[in-house]
Amino acid sequence: MKFFNSEDSLEKELNDFAIKNKENLGLVSLDVPLISNLDVWINIALIRQYHQNLPPEEAEKEVVRYLQRYHLEKIAHRRSSVLTDEERFCVMLLRAAMVVDAILVIDRPFKILPELQNSQFIFDSIRVIDDLYRESRIFDYIWFKDRYRIIDAT
Amino acid sequence: MVSVIENIGRVGLDTTNSLLDTLSFAGRVIMRIFNRETYNSATRVVLLNQIYFTAVQILPLFLVGSIVFGTLLIGVVFQIITDLGLADYLGNILMGLLVIELAPLITALLIALRSGSAINAEIAVMKVNQELKTLEVFNIDVIDYLFVPRIINGVLSVSLLTSLFSVVVLISGLLFSNFIFGMSFDAYANVLLNSTNLADIILSIVKAAAFGFFITMIPIRSGLNATHELTSIPVSVLHGMVKVFIAILMIEVLSLILRMI
Repeated sequence: MKFFNSEDSLEKELNDFAIKNKENLGLVSLDVPLISNLDVWINIALIRQYHQNLPPEEAEKEVVRYLQRYHLEKIAHRRSSVLTDEERFCVMLLRAAMVVDAILVIDRPFKILPELQNSQFIFDSIRVIDDLYRESRIFDYIWFKDRYRIIDAT
Repeated sequence: MVSVIENIGRVGLDTTNSLLDTLSFAGRVIMRIFNRETYNSATRVVLLNQIYFTAVQILPLFLVGSIVFGTLLIGVVFQIITDLGLADYLGNILMGLLVIELAPLITALLIALRSGSAINAEIAVMKVNQELKTLEVFNIDVIDYLFVPRIINGVLSVSLLTSLFSVVVLISGLLFSNFIFGMSFDAYANVLLNSTNLADIILSIVKAAAFGFFITMIPIRSGLNATHELTSIPVSVLHGMVKVFIAILMIEVLSLILRMI
């Protein structure tokens, strides 16, 4: 987890990190939205269909299996606009985890989940798919530190 | 006076730059179309969906439109032929005017209105919503994933729908020729075959393909010019559709010049 005291410093660090890890970056961010005219399952499957040439039928089955981990298989054929913030966050996490040997970077999760009071849901959601990525990082502002139940900033 | 000349110069330079940009973009897209690495499961799905939206969903409307418009055109043409005593030129008029000139033009106009504007708005919305950045972050090439399937779809759809329109017009022609001139099917087919020129057919197919290419590529390019503000979407569609209309006119004029040579 990394905390920053300004938007500029956070974005600079995020950009540098993204450039260094371009091939494996699985970014979860409001600045990297779901594609609005695609169903949830295609948003997730797209990464493997494009990079690994996974046939659509196989990709759909795989995505539905992953969505079942969050008990969200019912949203597979919905669009981003009708999802709740929590559902959208899980879909963005899964999409990021589809990158080969993914390094998940969650950029300001409380911007994606503004109603959330603490980080429990975020950590639980990451834990559910911990076999799908290599490492995970959270970038956030220092004033959200208490929401992560951390007393001293690292 | 000086400012008038300056304005003319500026417009001339802008137009030339815009044309060169469009041609350079077209060149990049064509290179990708012929690159095997462009095609994967994701791009194939987009291509199939695009063909469905452009060429299949429109079929009922297109068929009804072709039958009504084609029959009316044939009716007018037959009346003129009868009035002017030009029955000997029936085949030339049917093939040269209706099939080779009007069929691709009408199809291109319909697809430009329906799919060209939709593609322009879609790309502009993606730009405004930063969805193009999403693709970039996940190392998905926007030309391969978004543009190539839409442009191939444009080429295929306009070519196929042009053929369909031609068939409808020729069937209408058969009915009218039988009704007005008492011409049999064999005689009608003979008249058509005698007035068919291979070069004209090739030119017609190339023209339909060129229409399809530009009425999908120009809206894509125009959509990319949208800014990150919502109000830039209608502006982008407006500019895109005007450019599409100019491109259709230019292709039509070029094809007429080629036919006269």
